[in-house]
Amino acid sequence: MSHVLVLVEISHRGHIADSARGLLALAARLGDPVAVVATREPLADDVVAKLGSLGAAQVYQGRSDAAGTALVAPQVEALAAAVAALSPAAVLVSHSYDGREAAARLAVRTGSGVLVDAVNVRAEDGRIIANGSIWGGNYLVDSATTGMPVITVRPGAVDESAPQASAQVTAESVTVDAATAGVIDSYNDAPEVSERPSLLGAKKVVSGGRGFGSKENFALVEQLADALGAAVGASRAAVDAGYSPQTTQVGQTGVSVSPDLYVALGISGAIQHRAGMQTAKTIVAINKDADAPIFEVADFGIVGDVFTIVPQLVEAIKARSA
Amino acid sequence: MAVMSQYQPPVKDIAFLLEHVVGYPDIAALPGFEHADLDTVVGILEECGDFMAKVVAPTNRAGDEEGARWQPDGSVVTPTGFKEAYQQYVDAGWGSVPLPEEFGGGGFPRTIGLIIQEMMMSANMAFSLCPLLTQGAIEALLHYGNDELKQRYLPKMVTGEWAGTMNLTEPQAGSDVGALTTKAVPRGDGTYAISGQKIYITFGDHDLSEQIVHLVLARTPGAPEGTRGISCFIVPKFLVNQDGSLGDRNPVHTVSIEHKMGIHGSPTCVLSYEEATGYLIGEENKGMRIMFVMMNSARLSVGTQGLAVAELAYQQSLEYAKERRQGRAIGATEDSPIIDFPDVRRMLMTQKASIAALRALMLLNASYVDHSLHEPDEDARKRADEIVGLLTPICKSFGTDLGNELTSLALQIHGGMGYIEETGVAQHVRDVRIAAIYEGTNGIQAADLVGRKLGVRGGASVREFLATMREVDGQLADAGEQFASMRAELKTQLDALEQATMWIFQNGMSDPNAALAGSSPYLRMWGLCTGAWLLARAALAGQATGDPEVAETQLVLARFFAEQILPQCSGLLPAVTAGARDLFALDASQL
Amino acid sequence: MRIVVLVKQVPDTSDVRKLDLNTGLLDRDAGEPIVDEINERGLEAALRYKDDNKGTEVVVLSMGPENAIKSIRKALSMGADSGVHIVDDSLAGADALVTSLAISKALERTGYDLVVAGNESTDGNGGIVPAMISERLGIPLLGFLVNMEITEAQVSGERQGDDGTANVHAGLPAIVTVTERFDYARFPNFKGIMTAKRKPVDTVTLAELGVDAAEVSSLDRTEVISAVERPARTAGTKIDDDGTAAATLVEYLATNRLV
Ligand SMILES: Cc1cc2nc3c(=O)[nH]c(=O)nc-3n(C[C@H](O)[C@H](O)[C@H](O)COP(=O)(O)OP(=O)(O)OC[C@H]3O[C@@H](n4cnc5c(N)ncnc54)[C@H](O)[C@@H]3O)c2cc1C
Ligand SMILES: Cc1cc2nc3c(=O)[nH]c(=O)nc-3n(C[C@H](O)[C@H](O)[C@H](O)COP(=O)(O)OP(=O)(O)OC[C@H]3O[C@@H](n4cnc5c(N)ncnc54)[C@H](O)[C@@H]3O)c2cc1C
Repeated sequence: MSHVLVLVEISHRGHIADSARGLLALAARLGDPVAVVATREPLADDVVAKLGSLGAAQVYQGRSDAAGTALVAPQVEALAAAVAALSPAAVLVSHSYDGREAAARLAVRTGSGVLVDAVNVRAEDGRIIANGSIWGGNYLVDSATTGMPVITVRPGAVDESAPQASAQVTAESVTVDAATAGVIDSYNDAPEVSERPSLLGAKKVVSGGRGFGSKENFALVEQLADALGAAVGASRAAVDAGYSPQTTQVGQTGVSVSPDLYVALGISGAIQHRAGMQTAKTIVAINKDADAPIFEVADFGIVGDVFTIVPQLVEAIKARSA
Repeated sequence: MAVMSQYQPPVKDIAFLLEHVVGYPDIAALPGFEHADLDTVVGILEECGDFMAKVVAPTNRAGDEEGARWQPDGSVVTPTGFKEAYQQYVDAGWGSVPLPEEFGGGGFPRTIGLIIQEMMMSANMAFSLCPLLTQGAIEALLHYGNDELKQRYLPKMVTGEWAGTMNLTEPQAGSDVGALTTKAVPRGDGTYAISGQKIYITFGDHDLSEQIVHLVLARTPGAPEGTRGISCFIVPKFLVNQDGSLGDRNPVHTVSIEHKMGIHGSPTCVLSYEEATGYLIGEENKGMRIMFVMMNSARLSVGTQGLAVAELAYQQSLEYAKERRQGRAIGATEDSPIIDFPDVRRMLMTQKASIAALRALMLLNASYVDHSLHEPDEDARKRADEIVGLLTPICKSFGTDLGNELTSLALQIHGGMGYIEETGVAQHVRDVRIAAIYEGTNGIQAADLVGRKLGVRGGASVREFLATMREVDGQLADAGEQFASMRAELKTQLDALEQATMWIFQNGMSDPNAALAGSSPYLRMWGLCTGAWLLARAALAGQATGDPEVAETQLVLARFFAEQILPQCSGLLPAVTAGARDLFALDASQL
Repeated sequence: MRIVVLVKQVPDTSDVRKLDLNTGLLDRDAGEPIVDEINERGLEAALRYKDDNKGTEVVVLSMGPENAIKSIRKALSMGADSGVHIVDDSLAGADALVTSLAISKALERTGYDLVVAGNESTDGNGGIVPAMISERLGIPLLGFLVNMEITEAQVSGERQGDDGTANVHAGLPAIVTVTERFDYARFPNFKGIMTAKRKPVDTVTLAELGVDAAEVSSLDRTEVISAVERPARTAGTKIDDDGTAAATLVEYLATNRLV
């Protein structure tokens, strides 16, 4: 079987990105998964072991002094070197901030087509096909490229895991042309948020909108999310108003989620918001405007005030679990 | 969808009228308007409409709900969002478009200025009054101010950084401006000390601009009685220093603001002038002449308010009619949206066709304003000016009367919801109601039409205009069967209008009261006929475009208006020709 | 300093967008064509720099069909100085590789110190073209900026990341992509609209850019194999809160095993 490369993103604090599991699972479906990483230091044993447990039989390490300071370029070099060395059938990358930039730059190097934001991939008649869910899931589109595809995969879209493997590391040093890369000066890490699940791939999401009126009031969204064990999302209006961080924006230009349960609180349900959540299995909406468009897609809607209903919900759910 | 719908600027309809019905290309061909070709104009109107819809329209509800507020310190605060929207309006420069380039304007035709006003008035009528009154003050200065006043005031008024007001009304002087008593005493240094009380002054004080330039009518000592003794002054809220910066506060105080039926966002002020410094515009005792120049312009704008608010209300009622389900229309198998009921259709079509007629009429009037100012040939200018004189009272009255009637239909379509304030449509009914009252009540307009305009050139001016309207007959005859009913109806009704006109010519001189008695129905006959005439022209033009959808829409609107609305015209003939007998048959105690 | 702002004309996202199920391409007629909002934000950032730094030239560059000139004019009326419009029939349906090639060539021809793009377009959601351009031109990319500072010699800002942001910088020339955290654009003003008519727009074809057919055909192509439309969602139960709605909802969640 041919190799399928997966770009594994490793944070500046040394954490393997959550996307690695799903990417390796998809890669395992298509061929022999190879985890490609770009780091400055040799890989720690626990990182290698973890990659193996996620299904990587091989780890291709591009070593570069610029890793951690040059923006994305070390990953591009590592990928390019791995492609040259292994002639893979496909390259899978997360459709994350770093991932898609690395994918794009690699594609120019190799002259490859990029299939973006896939939610699934499969091999069919010797071709690798990416399945995308576009415009809020209104359409499901299969696409392919004429040569080796570079595929970016929607974070959180893949549930499965690859069979465990034990990873063999190949390390190559790669050089980054400093003139062609942005420089990372420092990081501003978001404060660690409790145990709350990440929005990407969450099974339950509770989102709040402009209806909350202030950052303080938005805490109600978090309380309900915690009671349900859900991730927190937000409308763009809520993000714009500073109630919730950018990374929580659900919608057209934010994150697309497909959870089992999506609760929209004080969100009108503009077409652009719906684009990010209307493939959820069950949608619940609470809004005081009976004509709010969110009700057009809600399985269960309550016309009422979030400030009255949400605290009652939190109590009732707590009471049940107690 | 939410009940409140957003304003959609009707730029496509407007562009069609400009190109095909009111002859805008001829205006663009006038000297000085080389930069104002149709394409450019439509591009500007699209952006301007977008601005009005996105920046101004969202302030309309808050304006109504909060209203302008008078503060104990005598200042006036406008509702939430007005200040920001006004600043953006100034930055965007929309007010400057039709003003002379010499003072920083865009040098565009009045026709384009009126369309910008229409869209702003639809977006928020109360808000739009501030720029509207500013424009009135600008025009007075432009035509009669001396160079120094012009240089000092106009550039900032043209941008909108400084606002303006118009101060005519006093407690005892409303329709009869000649009764005003505010005094202007010369100080010997060229300035005047202005003292007196003005009431109902729109945007007499506010927080939208740093400076307010009041245009004030007052009397100098020993001036003749009545309108012949009125002079016109500029009274700035803050005196202006030599370097153009703002100096001392001029003693003009806001005593209170009115609690009104509508246009809550527009502060209607009682202003007290206590020896405030004023600067004469033009000559002493020539104030009414200045007012006459501005009157045509302001009256056309106010007529357009009727159109503008009706357009907004129509859009809202159309939205509602599509969504509200109630009962079953004939043949329906499930609950029908109310738009499927014939009577609801009647209300929608009445609005749509009347709005189309009004818009054509307003734009026609505006285009004659442009011809009257810019035609190279003097005779052509004079003739255009006559037509402006004739059409202005019709635009003002018919426009605002229909404004009341059409907004009321829009409310009716909403059923009980319409009567509930939350729905928002009641606001339009309340807002537009003032337009038939201010800027010369509609009764005064009718008197102006009958008393002044019919007599121009011994009646020849009106006869020529009637003959022009008749010219469409030949084109309708050539246009085929579909235009036959419209043609026949137009002929019948123009005959009735001519008959009414003849009656007034014959009886007006000997019995003015008899002519005045029928003046309002007579004016309405004019409105109906000019509207139907313009829609017929639009239908012909629609056919000529070769675009089947445009052709159909225009044909149906014109036919509906001709067959179902225009016939009111001959029904009014008896009221026009009845004379005053029964109006005065009962004495006041019997009424 | 010459700032080139990339502007894409897209169908308004407020309208329902349609995919042509035969070609797998966007049905460009379904939805009013407008300047993608994210590009307007990028333009605003460039214009603000220009407001404060005389001598800055802002060029808008768009690749798109004939009618994309409307979007270029709009950008000019907002304050950009000139436009470049890449129009070529062969570009219909171009994928990111080809698009980035054409735009890169046009950028080389126009010259630039800073290129400002949107982080992703609302019709493609790819967000890969700017990175491809950076690779082709060999210039640094600062992508997904939430704010930006431009100086004569460099551009810097905060880049959005998965768990926080990073402070990044790059020497000029460089390309950046902006996110929705950048401010909305100004409205075109009347004077701007009038002057926009006189501003130059350079309309170029692929041949004029020196992109040869052989180079284009040597690239791998992406193609849509099939597309299906998902049935629209329908509304379920809607109740008015009479004080018991919270309890009813919890029951509903319990029945569906969601609590
Ligand atoms: C190019 C583009 C991309 C966009 N991308 C996105 C995107 O990715 N995600 C996104 O969300 N939006 C996006 N938008 C914006 C979108 O159009 C809407 O403006 C936004 O979703 C509105 O957010 P909202 O529902 O919180 O606010 P609003 O529309 O203001 O709605 C607030 C709602 O709260 C309700 N409410 C108020 N008070 C209460 C109360 N006490 N109790 C109950 N209900 C209450 C109101 O009835 C109202 O329905 C995009 C827009 C554009 C043009
Ligand atoms: C909200 C608002 C804003 C205003 N803004 C301004 C402003 O900015 N500046 C300003 O100067 N004024 C303003 N006005 C005043 C407005 O122009 C006057 O109210 C209007 O001219 C009518 O005057 P009046 O109220 O004294 O009514 P009257 O003159 O008393 O009229 C009462 C009735 O008598 C009729 N009538 C009177 N005389 C005659 C006649 N000769 N022939 C036939 N019928 C007659 C009228 O048609 C009317 O029906 C405003 C008024 C309002 C309510």
